[in-house]
Amino acid sequence: MAGIVLQSSDWLFVASNADFLLLGTIVTVLLTITSLTLGFLAGFPMGAIEVYGPDSLRSVVGTVGVVFRGTPIVVLVVLLYFGLPIPQLGTVPALDIQVTPFLAATLALGLRSGAYQSQVFRGAIQSISEGQMEGARSIGMSKLQAIRHVIFPQAIRRSIPGFQNEFTIVLKDTSVAFAIGLAELLTRAENLYLQPGRGTAVMEVILTITAIYFVLTVATNRTLDRLHDRYAIPGGNE
Amino acid sequence: MSLLRLEDVEKSYGNEEVLHGVGFEMDTQDVDVIVGPSGSGKSTLLRCVNRLTEIDGGSIFLDGEDIHSMDENDLRRRVGMVFQDFNLFAHRTAVGNVTLGLTEVLDLPSAEAHDRAMEYLDRVGLAEQADSYPAELSGGQKQRVGIARSLAMDPELILFDEPTSALDPELIGEVLGVMNDLADEGMTMLCVTHEMGFARSAATTLTFLDDGQIVERGPPEQLFDDPEQDRTREFLGDLTEIH
Repeated sequence: MAGIVLQSSDWLFVASNADFLLLGTIVTVLLTITSLTLGFLAGFPMGAIEVYGPDSLRSVVGTVGVVFRGTPIVVLVVLLYFGLPIPQLGTVPALDIQVTPFLAATLALGLRSGAYQSQVFRGAIQSISEGQMEGARSIGMSKLQAIRHVIFPQAIRRSIPGFQNEFTIVLKDTSVAFAIGLAELLTRAENLYLQPGRGTAVMEVILTITAIYFVLTVATNRTLDRLHDRYAIPGGNE
Repeated sequence: MSLLRLEDVEKSYGNEEVLHGVGFEMDTQDVDVIVGPSGSGKSTLLRCVNRLTEIDGGSIFLDGEDIHSMDENDLRRRVGMVFQDFNLFAHRTAVGNVTLGLTEVLDLPSAEAHDRAMEYLDRVGLAEQADSYPAELSGGQKQRVGIARSLAMDPELILFDEPTSALDPELIGEVLGVMNDLADEGMTMLCVTHEMGFARSAATTLTFLDDGQIVERGPPEQLFDDPEQDRTREFLGDLTEIH
């Protein structure tokens, strides 16, 4: 139970490695951004297809979604890292990471997020009243034009709360990249306390990265709250 | 040649036949008012004309051309519609509602679209509300934006689907005022409404539809004052008492 004892020498050890953890934080944030972006690019069209697409495409998208939502994220990361023929692409010296595991983690987190984001967008699209589509079609807009200019802008606004959830989940789940050795925050934390003689610093290191995850999550959620208020439709009850 | 001609139009929803064999013609500048009890197929009939609903039998011609051989977007550019529930784009201002079709469907440059939209908003008395969002407008104002949105596309015919039915009584007048102005200016209008005052004063032809069939069709004075059918007399008599 030695690890539970917090001691100032261990805090000093954490402080002296602040740079090392900062790099890990940057990798975590980058991985969150690339994964959410991929998730959005995959998820929004998937959500639209689930509502408006032809039956055949809908069932394909539905099945892909079920598979990605039904697989544990660690399994997915490991599977894509070892299963995909991604060549070894070298390192990014500034961040001290390997490119290949970063890509594999982005793919796993991004596609999984896309599967969930598709459900956020599907719900948001379905919550827009049928009259909006009819109003658009009645002045001669095509279905695609109506989706783009009338449904999409409203659905995006309504999906911000659900997207906030998804953001938080992806940010925290970037830690599973630990399983393939990507030098993000958790991996670096482990690198610290596994050093010879630093076993007593486990709690201090872990508490520090917990605080970092927490601050990132809260700060981003606040920002998205503001975005939601700022782009709320005037007079609307959203 | 008539602007709009319906021949033996049939429509069913599942096993329920909504329209059986409806046919009539209307000319440019006609104001055609359709009345009838709820469930008689009035709204369905209107929606068939711009193909928001597809017919199961018969034919509809616009200016001699079968609408089912036309591109549906081209058809709707020529036939506007005003809805009971307005269906304004919730995320766009009043003027934004009017410009969208102008820029995306008619491909007007945005400055020109804006000027034209303002012109039509002014025409329905809403130039000052141009920057308001639908949720900030009263029902009557929303419906006038709906009319401006449709008018700005310069349609050959506008369909009005119970345009005042969702309005508080004190707001009905402003919408009927705009519709009366349009009628006076020679706009071709096909209206489903329960507003008997409008039917009597503005309609060139009144149609009584019941159970998916035209019971009687003629000049409004004839249907109101000297109908040939007892059902027409009953229906219009009841309504006139209420109003």
